[in-house]
Amino acid sequence: MKLLDVPRITAEFARDRFPLEKLNAESMLTKKEVPVHRMSWAYYLGGLALFFFLVQVVTGLMLLFYYQPTVSDAHASVEYISQHVSGGALVRNLHAWSSSAMILTVIVHVLTTFAMKAFAKPRELTWVTGVGLALLVFSFGFTGYLLPWNQIAVNATKVGLQSIEAIGQYLPGEMATWPKYARETIQGEAAVGQATLSRFYALHVILLPLLVAGLLGLHLFQVQIHGMSHGVDAEHVKREKFFPFFVIKDLSVWGVAFLVLFVLGLCLPFESFFAYPLMEPFDPLGSTPEGIKPEWYFYFVYYPLELLPYWVVMLAMTALVGGLFLAPWVLAGSNRRTLRAIAIAAAIYFVVVTLFGQQIYEVFKGVNP
Amino acid sequence: MTRRIAVTLMFAVLALDARAAAHNEFQTFVRKNSGRPVDCALCHVHSNGPEGTGAGQVGSLNPAELERLGRARAAFEPGTIVDSPILNGFGDSLVVRLGKKRILELRSAPAELAVEISQTSDLDLDGISDSSEYLAGTHPLIASDGNPWSLFLHNLRRRAFQLSMITVATGLGLFGFINLLHGFALRLRARQDQGPMSA
Repeated sequence: MKLLDVPRITAEFARDRFPLEKLNAESMLTKKEVPVHRMSWAYYLGGLALFFFLVQVVTGLMLLFYYQPTVSDAHASVEYISQHVSGGALVRNLHAWSSSAMILTVIVHVLTTFAMKAFAKPRELTWVTGVGLALLVFSFGFTGYLLPWNQIAVNATKVGLQSIEAIGQYLPGEMATWPKYARETIQGEAAVGQATLSRFYALHVILLPLLVAGLLGLHLFQVQIHGMSHGVDAEHVKREKFFPFFVIKDLSVWGVAFLVLFVLGLCLPFESFFAYPLMEPFDPLGSTPEGIKPEWYFYFVYYPLELLPYWVVMLAMTALVGGLFLAPWVLAGSNRRTLRAIAIAAAIYFVVVTLFGQQIYEVFKGVNP
Repeated sequence: MTRRIAVTLMFAVLALDARAAAHNEFQTFVRKNSGRPVDCALCHVHSNGPEGTGAGQVGSLNPAELERLGRARAAFEPGTIVDSPILNGFGDSLVVRLGKKRILELRSAPAELAVEISQTSDLDLDGISDSSEYLAGTHPLIASDGNPWSLFLHNLRRRAFQLSMITVATGLGLFGFINLLHGFALRLRARQDQGPMSA
């Protein structure tokens, strides 16, 4: 490739990814069709993740009316919401359940789109923005976890921030200090305190939502303009009209998801899965209580970090994130059977470590982490 | 002056007695029985127990609270209504039901406390009796703390009306939206059938 070809190739790439001739109601609505096959259920996952995100936005805005982002008042304000605000416990519980539901849906969405090779040309940007959104969703989980300022929140955040700094020991020269600066920048002061809470709050309610809005806009635009990927190896599959049939089914899935979420929000306190001492306000003078762990969706990193050398896990995670971003180019020649096998292996790993990570840890170490 | 000396003496005596008043035997039993990291907040106001100067600890009490503490500690027989500044509602209820004398006796057999707590008492109204919560290591005063499945079933029964209403509302909403979309689709097809000129 010559240097002079770069503008032409870039223009061609942009033209293929942003086909302006398709920017009309006919292409994006009336004539749009969705393939129907045994993996069709996966087409609803993106919309479902969007639904849970919208629930997060609505319930999050409601919580903002009462939440106080200060170390002295954060925990008390959360307790006030749960115990004294009308419907406060329900809104908070819906926020907690929908965050977990959103992350689970996003994980399954990433795995299924990977297995269906939905990242292939011309959908590279759909995939890359999707991976970016998945990382942002995890960032929402990490920053939101700290906000109630209880024992488990602060101590788990400390561990998370320490693991960022620990990367430095494996970097050469001046670069070794970069993770430390990154940690200090995120933390805002010598220890996790008011500055950290303020920064996490700003990230959680302003910066990350803005980033999501931008990426989500581009992601949905790409989905609409390119349509759903074919998804299976068979060349000829049944197709159904996007409007109204697929939209109606999508809406019905949203309705069922809302009901399930509402039942969970009303009947099953999210906090019941934690021991109550962990829910007490953070005591900076107290010792770290037992049972400190991150949220369940970080177990796939947490337990390997407890069992394997740090550098091995970091290397694997860097390869995973890099591999996900570069999948459209690195795996361009792969067939769906291979991709499906990789996705199934990843799903099995995730489920096993999430459900049985503690037992696996005890088998190898013989003690609680 | 005499009152100040009396309060100071009372404070000194109570402070010396504080460690003994924590009754770690119960906490140790619950931790072992349930495997959960239970702390002193099971019965006390402060999670580190009564000793110290934090809120709900002996060192922080004012004269009026010390008097309340004195009355609670003198309640050796059951039936005396107490409002101890260092005990939470569950701790107070134990003193009322059993009396301090019996509680002290049960330190050697903490499992029996579960039998002696009223089987119908449910202070946080979460559907799980205080006795079961004591054995399970969940907090008898926190409605969101308990066996998740038991809480779910209890709340499902308690909120049956709200849940049926929201189900009906969601169903009707979906029915309306789906028909609206069908209507749009029909209108769109009719326009397409008529062609671009007539549209």
